[in-house]
Amino acid sequence: MSTPIALPAIHRETLPTGLSVVVAQRPGVPLAAVRLVLRGGSSLDPARRSGLAHLVALAARRGTRRRTGPEIDLAVESLGAELGAGVDEDATYFGLSAPVEELPRCMDILADVATHPIFPPAEVKRLKRREVAALAHDLDEPSVVADRAMLSAAFGDHPYGHSPEGRVRDLTEASRGDVVGFHSRHYRPSEAILVVVGKVELGEVLALVRKRFGAWRGPEGAEPPVRAPAAPETRVVVVDKPDITQSQVRIASQGFPRKSPDYVPGIVASALLGGGFTSRLMEAIRVNRGLSYGVRSRFSTSASGGVFFISTFTKVETTGEIVQVALDETARFSDEGPTAEELERTKSYLCGLFPLSLETHDQLAEKLADLALFDLPDDDIRLFRDHVRAIGADECRLAARRYFPLERRVVVAVGPAKAIAPALERFGPVSVVPARKMV
Amino acid sequence: MATPPAHTGVLDLEQVRAHTLPNGLRVRLLHDRSAPTLSYYTFFQVGSRNERLGTTGISHLFEHMMFNGAAKYGPKEFDRVLESRGGHSNAYTSNDVTAYYEDFAPDALETVIDLESDRMRSLRLTTDSLEQEREVVKEERRLRTENSIFGLMEEQLESLVFLAHPYRWPVIGWMDDIERITRDDCEAFFRTYYAPNNAAVYVVGDMDPDATLELLERHYADIPAGPRPAPVPQGEPPQRGERRAVVRYPAQAPALLAGWRGPAARSSDSAALDVLQVCLAVGESSRLRRRLVQDEEVAVSVSIGWGWRIDPGVFLAFAELAPKVKSARAEAILWEELDRVATKGVSGAEVRRAQALLRSSVLHELATHHGIAHALGQAEALLGDWREAGHALEHYAAVGPRDVRRVAAEYLDPSRRNVVALDPEVKR
Repeated sequence: MSTPIALPAIHRETLPTGLSVVVAQRPGVPLAAVRLVLRGGSSLDPARRSGLAHLVALAARRGTRRRTGPEIDLAVESLGAELGAGVDEDATYFGLSAPVEELPRCMDILADVATHPIFPPAEVKRLKRREVAALAHDLDEPSVVADRAMLSAAFGDHPYGHSPEGRVRDLTEASRGDVVGFHSRHYRPSEAILVVVGKVELGEVLALVRKRFGAWRGPEGAEPPVRAPAAPETRVVVVDKPDITQSQVRIASQGFPRKSPDYVPGIVASALLGGGFTSRLMEAIRVNRGLSYGVRSRFSTSASGGVFFISTFTKVETTGEIVQVALDETARFSDEGPTAEELERTKSYLCGLFPLSLETHDQLAEKLADLALFDLPDDDIRLFRDHVRAIGADECRLAARRYFPLERRVVVAVGPAKAIAPALERFGPVSVVPARKMV
Repeated sequence: MATPPAHTGVLDLEQVRAHTLPNGLRVRLLHDRSAPTLSYYTFFQVGSRNERLGTTGISHLFEHMMFNGAAKYGPKEFDRVLESRGGHSNAYTSNDVTAYYEDFAPDALETVIDLESDRMRSLRLTTDSLEQEREVVKEERRLRTENSIFGLMEEQLESLVFLAHPYRWPVIGWMDDIERITRDDCEAFFRTYYAPNNAAVYVVGDMDPDATLELLERHYADIPAGPRPAPVPQGEPPQRGERRAVVRYPAQAPALLAGWRGPAARSSDSAALDVLQVCLAVGESSRLRRRLVQDEEVAVSVSIGWGWRIDPGVFLAFAELAPKVKSARAEAILWEELDRVATKGVSGAEVRRAQALLRSSVLHELATHHGIAHALGQAEALLGDWREAGHALEHYAAVGPRDVRRVAAEYLDPSRRNVVALDPEVKR
């Protein structure tokens, strides 16, 4: 179990324009995964333009100098691929997975979309309307509302504090000029990473990359780093949805950035508290009390900071109880740390799970893109299991005491405010927000 | 036997070792060293189609009970033991099957066999664990049905499409039935549906088939066969006219769900309906996405669900509509598009596009040990033969534009459609 993970041969090079290219040749199904990642995601959304990075990524595929939006759709899908486009807080992603013999055409279309979009005015307007309409449907999903409310409560005005999908008002006011401006400022080879994984020939891939991306130019210089977020003030946010019969609950505290030395101890501690089916929270909330169908905890790590959160749901009547149980278990774990048996089991679980996250070409492409994005070494993958194995009970307890929601924390609950707000007052000052304010 | 085309080579059926133990347990093993992992699937031939009113949801509730301890491995031990060996497990229940899996490193194989055979042999059903799982399942129902717009609508749709067949009720069961299921119900259920003659085990990955078979025989051979399960009622009367339901729910935007009774999975029309599904709603260039989302902007999303089932299942279309769009307008456009396919058909290029997308999706599924094990189990449970997992691409390749047009005309007949509209209540 402590042998390093065998990675396929990985070729890395940087084109004269600054584009980072990563190619991994591996056997398996005759597909190739291609991923283009641009540093800079929704944290680059300008003030009052939340959702802009997301809109730009969607709009880029709606027309180029050589192809209309529908032509792009048809060309990609006729190859048996679907072109994905989207953003998270740190990056913009374009990706597809196609039969390996179609790689030349895929690369052509991907380069066209990322480097030569023309943002047809009618398509930009239509996308804005669709995204605004989609937010209405998001509001009807309590878990989506809870996730949005948690980001906002945990990060406040920080660039990580809004959902990448943006808000109705900002999307409505965004102009085509905003879209074009964002693209010309941020889509550039010096901040881009292209990853290709599959049963490919290295020479052919590199020739294709040079042919399709070699002439891509953009502004020089690096994206300025996002400032580190501050820890949230302790409070309770109740998002009022009067008609639901089950509350969605999030408990969040300050986490750490992806490159933090606390990353691995944090992962182990979080798995102990709220990872698999045998975690402390699962046992206390689901197995012993039947309060919920599911509960989990997780560190969400970004370039400049992160959040730790517990996520669960329960019938309206037991909303206060579930928060109390979750906080009690968290405090108990942070005091006592894990038992030896529990720690060994959880480390085995994490080590066993890890190779399964590298099985497909898409999964490996995603991992390699993350290494490049966060400037991490291959050993982050190769030696992950050894790093996990080396974690002791004290390190888990320290990570828990430092990051778990003990003192400064926000509790977010989505449900009928009249019924749940009084039960949550004991966890901090309560503010009640109507659900519609969440988009 | 014809040589399969080279592109199906990702799943070499010749390499699958199939064997049946004297107690009826079917075992299928596929040795593959491409990754140092193993996937272990157990399929029980039972789902909500085997249930009766009054105890609907028992298949799913029972799935939860399977994790609560048996004779050798007591309460809470199943996942603890598995996780301590670097594995993880989960399970799902559908209308037709209940499937359990473990993914793990090869050295944990015997532990997994021990765990799985222990619970098949000697599951402990206690009142305490039943009461606790009942509460968990009620929360699951609140999550997926009562507070989910699609969940609410789908529940209505299935009860419109089926009058007599047990597909009429939701897999999770009616809330009142979940409340009612007793320990005795669970005992009887276990004896019948969890007997080895109603199950099949699939092991795919890095292992030696001979040694694995021997281990399986050693652990499972003493579990007695059970009684033959009762046949599932098939008396669904023909539908003679459209059926409709309205769900009034405080939502921000309307939605539309339509469904038709399709063929059984075994029908040769199933593959053609898969192709039709892709032509209609997979990818941005699919007909419904272009028309409803891009051109007319009546919907923000549209999808087709055609899930293969043992008995004739449902072909459904779901659209999340733009706020303020009248459901009737979206319906009219949807019917027009479906009628266009049924009368004028689709082009050869559309079928080729669909085949390319389906091929990628099959390759993705067969790219992991987990995916292969599941595909084998699913094929055997629904189609009666695990070999079908390796023939999907051939079936798709055989579909032509005329087949697509024919199945659209045959199954999506307006007089046999069922419609559920979401009416977003205005709050006063």
